[in-house]
Amino acid sequence: MPITESPAQVLDCKGLACPMPVIKTAQAIKTIEPGQVLELLATDPGVEPDMKAWTTRTGNELLAIDREGDVFHVFLRRNG
Amino acid sequence: MWTDEGEGKVLYVQTHGVSDPGRCATPFFLAASAAAMEVEVAIYFTMYGPTLLQKDVVDKIGPKGDQGMPLAHFIKQATDLGVKLYVCQPSLELNDLALEDLIDGVVMIGGAAFNDMAMRADAVVSF
Repeated sequence: MPITESPAQVLDCKGLACPMPVIKTAQAIKTIEPGQVLELLATDPGVEPDMKAWTTRTGNELLAIDREGDVFHVFLRRNG
Repeated sequence: MWTDEGEGKVLYVQTHGVSDPGRCATPFFLAASAAAMEVEVAIYFTMYGPTLLQKDVVDKIGPKGDQGMPLAHFIKQATDLGVKLYVCQPSLELNDLALEDLIDGVVMIGGAAFNDMAMRADAVVSF
């Protein structure tokens, strides 16, 4: 599903290893409003399974993960 | 002790100490990840584990020796996310330590309290 709405915030975690992308995402999502989108940029190869698990646990929504070279673009919607 | 405020509870157990630096940081990494998932998290330090929490050790030890961040950085990362640290009283004695020798915020508990935490946790992960 293409992401048409622009993210409220872009979180650059390129070059950071586990667990930093998860920790920084958890902190950043609290700074946007419910319904808004956070875009995470990460090069950690574990980011896809981590973000699936994290969104399932926290109730936030994983909209899409696009890969561009070594960089994963993860789109997350903050829920209620 | 659990507050039951999280979406679940994970208890990590660290038995390794300063003699095995490669094993010092992973429980903090996993605990921080769990805390970021809105789960209540605690780490229990027993056997040689309490030696990792000494005030005069945390800045001098790290998972990759002289490379990378010291253990103190990973401890703070976890505790800033709400991870609680517990230490086993007889293990302090085993390592000739007193609670005052450890970093601030560590809580001493006994075997009954540990077992109660373990039975009430959704997962117990031991290192």
